[in-house]
Amino acid sequence: MQKYISQQNLNTLLDKLITKGIRVVAPRISAGIPLYEPLKCSDEMVTDQLPRRSAKEAFFPVCEEIMSYEKEGQQVKLTDVDPARFPETVLVGVRPCDAAAIPVLDAVFSWDYKDEFFLERRRKTTIIGLACTTADDACFCTAVGLSPAETRGSDLFLTLLDGGGYACESYSEKGEALINGNGELFSESNNAVPFHLAAPQAEKIDLKKVKAWLDEHFEDPLWDGIAVRCVGCGACAFVCPACHCFDIVDEGTEKNGKRRKSWDACGFWKFTHHASGHNPRDLQPKRYRNRIMHKFKYYDDKFGQTLCTGCGRCVRICPVGIDIAAIVDEINKK
Amino acid sequence: MNIHVLDKSIYTAVTEAIRSEATRLLTAGDVTVIVGYAAARRKGSAQPIVITSSADADKLIFTPACVNNLAVYLTKAKKEIPKGGKIGIVVKGCDLKALVGLMGESQLKREELYLIGVPCVGVLASTVQPATELTAETIASKCRECDAHLPSGCDLLPNVVLPPMPQLEGKYSAEIARLEALPPAERWAFWKEQFAKCIKCYACRQVCPFCFCEQCLCDRNKPQMVDTTPRPAGNTAWHIVRAMHLAGRCAGCAECERVCPMDIPLNLLNRKMAKELKELFDYEAGFEVNEKGPLSTYTEKDDQSFIK
Repeated sequence: MQKYISQQNLNTLLDKLITKGIRVVAPRISAGIPLYEPLKCSDEMVTDQLPRRSAKEAFFPVCEEIMSYEKEGQQVKLTDVDPARFPETVLVGVRPCDAAAIPVLDAVFSWDYKDEFFLERRRKTTIIGLACTTADDACFCTAVGLSPAETRGSDLFLTLLDGGGYACESYSEKGEALINGNGELFSESNNAVPFHLAAPQAEKIDLKKVKAWLDEHFEDPLWDGIAVRCVGCGACAFVCPACHCFDIVDEGTEKNGKRRKSWDACGFWKFTHHASGHNPRDLQPKRYRNRIMHKFKYYDDKFGQTLCTGCGRCVRICPVGIDIAAIVDEINKK
Repeated sequence: MNIHVLDKSIYTAVTEAIRSEATRLLTAGDVTVIVGYAAARRKGSAQPIVITSSADADKLIFTPACVNNLAVYLTKAKKEIPKGGKIGIVVKGCDLKALVGLMGESQLKREELYLIGVPCVGVLASTVQPATELTAETIASKCRECDAHLPSGCDLLPNVVLPPMPQLEGKYSAEIARLEALPPAERWAFWKEQFAKCIKCYACRQVCPFCFCEQCLCDRNKPQMVDTTPRPAGNTAWHIVRAMHLAGRCAGCAECERVCPMDIPLNLLNRKMAKELKELFDYEAGFEVNEKGPLSTYTEKDDQSFIK
């Protein structure tokens, strides 16, 4: 059942949640750039800029402690992190490309090993998606079968209406609960008011066809052609809403320290560097090939979906202009 | 006031000159490979390209979207580019300074390079869309303080006349002056906030022509010199290591700052170090091939006032 919520009531809702001690995470300006971060008050939320990093960090932080150790004499004391202490969270203003990536991550983090760090945060978070009103020529959600109004991954979904306020639709029990618990802030929607939506230009890509080509072309001149320019940083993976590789390291002294999990990237030379000194992905095109293969073939082989939601962040920030949308389009046309 | 790009005919002339020289060089076998710029999918955008056949020479372009310092591809760290034989490279004045530095550090030999110099008014800031027109507002900060619109000593420099360019106020010098005037605690607070944004993607390292170490100190774990996780300790250590290792070497291409996905003003650190080098050793990187940079030599005349 579609509802209506005014901008003012949305702010009231968020402030009410903050007052109740619920962590409200939304796009805000942080040291000059838009990032999904906890709000101190609703006024901080900015909805007109795509956050520089995706919403995945609400569940899968850039870096987190997973254990600590302390050594005294011959005794070593290990202390686990208790996921029960993760706070109840409302993640709001999430772009459709970011929200749609969250079920993609669920599949990985709840596959053979249940990652409680991810899953506990996920259980405790309600996601309020927000339809996009602008798109640039790096956006390509429409190419991978999504849209500026895609509701996948959202518990509640807001669409800006011409003339202000939002149409609000619930897609889960969590979404229902949020509306029911704050009924006074929502009203019946006026279906006559048109939605204000972005119109990305990217044409739909046949992802099955792309996968079929990738199935047969692990070796292909394409990889050198597109990735000889790749300089081997991790920027594309780090800003990606769906990339989920991480590293685990112990940091501290012999006496005490912490075991930490932090983002990793297949673009790094070190990513596949064996202890023997051998590196099966010895040159950059082999590393970049893995990025495309994982997104459009391996992940599909395993989970039946694509590991890309077309947010365009990697296209915008690649230091050397590597454009995943152009690459997939090129494969699609083969 | 707007600075206008080189007018259309001159741009076309630069691109034409690059293409015809590339065709000639590759056809005659004078070079085995040419590193230049090509148009990319997004409107107005450009990306580095490596060509080995004259049939691809027509892909080469030069526009204000040609932001990259291509010198990075010639270092030993970039094993993907074929290094046998002479290499042709398209260079702006700022990029040439990096090549000069690499020659000084015995990483490149002049006779193994064919330098296709490009006259340059300036390139676009990383904060604007690639199709934006080049103006005083959209120009990259480094270009506001450019002293190398025409690269010198190249094998080819297209014969075009640069349009008159307005004097633009230098943003780096102003920002360095502002930070220098702050009390140390406030200055530290500024950098702490900036380094807190670092996600350790190492884009700054990977695009830097002077970060050619085959294994970076920060990638070593025996011993672990620098914490690898993106947290205050490791982030701060990394950025200080970077600034110190580039002191007296960095000539200000500002690629580190351009590519930072978190907008950390990295070139400020490099410009500050360059300023120190100028004051202490009267040295400026990138102008001549110099095997003995100030931080790799010792003379009795060196300022020792820091020893207390």
